[in-house]
Amino acid sequence: MPQTQTMQQLDLEFATHLLAGYRPPAGVQDELMDSMGEVRPVWRDFAHFLGRLTPEDTGLRFARGDQYLRDSGVYFRRYGQNGADAREWPLSHIPVLLSDKEWTGLGAALAQRSELLEAVVADLYGDNRMIAEGWLPPSLVAANPEWLRPMVGVKPRSGHFLHMLAFEIGRGPDGRWWVMGDRAQAPSGAGFALENRVATRRVFSDFFAHANIHRLAGFFTQFQNMLSAHTNGDGQAAILSPGPFTDTYYEHVYLARYLSLMLLEGEDLAVVDGRVMVRTVEGLRPVDVLWRRLDSAYADPLELNEQSQLGTPGLAGAIRRGTVSMVNALGSGVLEMNALQAFLPRICENLRGEPLLMPNVATWWCGEKNARQHVLANLDRMMIGPALSNRLPFEISSENNAGYERPPHLAHDAWLEAHGEKLVAQELVTLSTTPAFQNGQLTPRPLVLRVFAVRTRRGWRMMPGGFARVGRSESPSAIAMQNGGAVADVWVVSENSVDTQTSLMEPSDSTPRQRETVLTSRSADNLFWLGRYSVRAEGMLRLLRCYHTRLGEISDSEAPLLNYISSQLARYGVGPGVQPVGLINGINAALGCAAKVREQFSIDGWAALSDIATNTRELLSTREPGYETARALGELLQKTATFSGLVQENMFRSPGWRFLNIGRQLERAMLMCVSLSYFAEANAPQGAFDVVLELGDSVLTHRRRFSLEARRNTVIGVLALEQNNPQSIHFLIDEIYDHLRRLPGADTQGQLTPPAFAAKQARSEIAAYKADTLDSKALSRLHDQLAEISSLIDSAYFR
Amino acid sequence: MLYDIRVRIAYQYETLAAAGRHILRLTPAALPREQAVLASSLDIHPEPRERSGFIDFFGNQAIEAAISTPHMRFEALLHARVERLILPPPQDASPSLAELRADIANYAAFDLWAPHHYLADSPLVAVQDVMTDYARAQLAPDMSIFQAANAIARALHRDMQFDPDATTVETPPLEAFTRRRGVCQDFTHIMIACLRGLGVPAAYVSGFLRTIPAPGQARLDGADAMHAWTRVWCGSSMGWIEFDPTNAILVAADHVVAARGRDYSDVAPIKGVLRAGGSQDSLQSVDVVALDQ
Repeated sequence: MPQTQTMQQLDLEFATHLLAGYRPPAGVQDELMDSMGEVRPVWRDFAHFLGRLTPEDTGLRFARGDQYLRDSGVYFRRYGQNGADAREWPLSHIPVLLSDKEWTGLGAALAQRSELLEAVVADLYGDNRMIAEGWLPPSLVAANPEWLRPMVGVKPRSGHFLHMLAFEIGRGPDGRWWVMGDRAQAPSGAGFALENRVATRRVFSDFFAHANIHRLAGFFTQFQNMLSAHTNGDGQAAILSPGPFTDTYYEHVYLARYLSLMLLEGEDLAVVDGRVMVRTVEGLRPVDVLWRRLDSAYADPLELNEQSQLGTPGLAGAIRRGTVSMVNALGSGVLEMNALQAFLPRICENLRGEPLLMPNVATWWCGEKNARQHVLANLDRMMIGPALSNRLPFEISSENNAGYERPPHLAHDAWLEAHGEKLVAQELVTLSTTPAFQNGQLTPRPLVLRVFAVRTRRGWRMMPGGFARVGRSESPSAIAMQNGGAVADVWVVSENSVDTQTSLMEPSDSTPRQRETVLTSRSADNLFWLGRYSVRAEGMLRLLRCYHTRLGEISDSEAPLLNYISSQLARYGVGPGVQPVGLINGINAALGCAAKVREQFSIDGWAALSDIATNTRELLSTREPGYETARALGELLQKTATFSGLVQENMFRSPGWRFLNIGRQLERAMLMCVSLSYFAEANAPQGAFDVVLELGDSVLTHRRRFSLEARRNTVIGVLALEQNNPQSIHFLIDEIYDHLRRLPGADTQGQLTPPAFAAKQARSEIAAYKADTLDSKALSRLHDQLAEISSLIDSAYFR
Repeated sequence: MLYDIRVRIAYQYETLAAAGRHILRLTPAALPREQAVLASSLDIHPEPRERSGFIDFFGNQAIEAAISTPHMRFEALLHARVERLILPPPQDASPSLAELRADIANYAAFDLWAPHHYLADSPLVAVQDVMTDYARAQLAPDMSIFQAANAIARALHRDMQFDPDATTVETPPLEAFTRRRGVCQDFTHIMIACLRGLGVPAAYVSGFLRTIPAPGQARLDGADAMHAWTRVWCGSSMGWIEFDPTNAILVAADHVVAARGRDYSDVAPIKGVLRAGGSQDSLQSVDVVALDQ
């Protein structure tokens, strides 16, 4: 049959091009190829598909995935000698394929492990039967800083400690999967797995559409249902994050957006009458469930780590009173210590009367004599590290292992004898390999999978897929992302067709509830200041451009007008030279606020803003003063216009949008007060009126209205009193007043809020001025009124 | 011994505090066979909007108070009457250091006074070689744990100078040890570090010391403020014994217990005091009057 012939040809083609150098290391399992060098059945269709692609096509496809990742702004934070920096997402475009038959077995084993971990943590915070029976050494628990004494004896409101877990698993040379690490504290990666899926799907969209690959959305629906089950009535469900400086913050933002959850930090919360409340612009709102992405010890400085700046005082007390649910319970991090794996097999036998369905990496706690002897006899097959750590064996390096390495003067036996309690030995792991695309060919690379589990009413369910980490080289230690390892999508492939639900809008078995989005005080604060800082930066850009345009015209840097402009620039800390420090600081301040409210705005808005920051540094350091620089500044101003455009065109008309706009308009009006009282002064040098018209972007408006040379009265008219010029103070105050009246809670009592009242006063005041009465003194009075509105907004909404 | 105890702790802030949430571990503990609390009242100013009590992991009475009135000054006033029982001096039944390890290993229960809780590093006390070496230098061959703890307490009293100006509540034990100066908190933390370094479980006790000594006795250091001392596990048959390294004595009828834990962080009399936004001034006055002598 011709069909068969084609297939054979393709096989041949595939083998020659892609698999030419594909040689899994000896004694290692490979995901793609069996020991005979045959492609495994689950990979066959995909392998054929890959074999049909030309190198050009492959390049285009990979670029499509990379473009998606860049556009969506996914990054991870890498910590190095020079602090942390945000890195591009290292996607390995070739997914890892597993059959759903294998996946079912794997899921059953991990469901068992999830149940076991629940029983273990309940015992550790409850009856301590494991210790009494001698199944677990007491010192391991007592010394573990993740075993939180304030939570001992506290029963979780939901009846369960664990609701979401992750497992790091690897495949050994015998083909079996091994658990290398349990993640119970605040498992990360589920959101990244979703991003990897979206990107990889873009790369192989045509193949994906017809392949029976299990979708991930169902898992998130189950997750959402689990969270909903914890809310009763009016309470919110939210993500509790450590904030933008944590390595997985991107994921917190992504998941908050995807699952419509509030993204909170410790300072957003307050405990009132034993209940956890979130500070919003509408006052305190109750919170029922927190998906905790913050390590337990940092959650409450009053009862846990006193040094924590990230927590909420009283949170532990609220949990003790059973008024809030935690996903997962405070203190579940104790389950992550590597030493626990030495005892879990026996604990499983004892607690559940059955063996572990999936073994964990063979582990010996060196606090026990027998274990020490075994370790000493098998040193060459062991990795020795800290007993209480949760690092995977290949993640241990000399940098993070300080204090746990054998001092040169001690022999192994003396070392283990003296410090055994703090040490754990784990058998060296030989990981399976999976194909990665390198230099136009597939190359086997070591693989670790992170699998996610959620508790549902019908038991634990696994995400059908996961977060794969793939080594950059053959060495297992090259898997760690901090060492340049890559990540990949995981395809669980079925022989039958699969449910293709991809959105979260599917009906579920829980009562559907419209989630109300409430703006936190902190987000409102950041949006407001983002507005103020971005306009301030724009103002500096305009003033700088005025300077350089005129420098180009006059080419005498000592001309009176140039001196006049540069002394105004100096007030903002911006010299006319190439390094305008004040400007860069201003842009960074705006970016800093934006970084804290990334979930509030579109990816494009964020991209536009970071674009301005990058380009300011680049453009200004390379241009000659005068026209050259003026042109560069013009380009930057266009970018700020892009940002304002996105804010106006694309942002949902939410209270957050209003705060951003109030900030922008307040800053613009205040800036105009300052500029007018300086440049529209009687003794200002010639040409100053034109400068201020340019600052107010109103040169054309002025020309149309007056068709004559700018005079003080005409300038004040256009930039301060005109009711229809969006740059004039009068117009801006009208807008501010309007926004303030539309903010939540502004009109409920039939009475204006303090900031709205102050804006109303400012409004009637500006309306009473004439061009000749609005002198410098009046302008400065107006400026102070605007500043007062700003601080009234602060105390009404942000505290 | 019957005592009338009055304590006043006040914090004066530099800037207005809008609200505050505190946990207080200040009241004398009710301890069967050690001391009985006949009466106890604790006033907090400004008046808390919420106030509740709970027993913490270490068995201490903790009071949680939330203040919602803006305030510049936070104050706690304790008035208590306590009967401290006079016990016969302990008979040394403690094992040697070498035997203690097995004693600990055989202790299978995980109650709050299980030795396991008091061996590992705790938030404020980390074992350090210099202190471990110092402790080892105080030992004679075949000493019992009880004798060893005594020797270390005496050595610290001999080598360290009581100096209220040398350290603050935040000074790390190693620094106080290096300078050989400090107050009862430092003496206690250093002794704990010394003992844990040797593998001996040691805990922290906060409490009060009678202000005017019994007739014919010297006035003890640490009587003007809240006091602290060390609790040592002397093996399973002898149990926990308390030593006062600041005064080089065994704890007896002059001491009244407020709270116990692994170190100061578990028993601090007042937690949640504002640190951010300006420094604060604190004032502490303690009067412990013996009524039956």
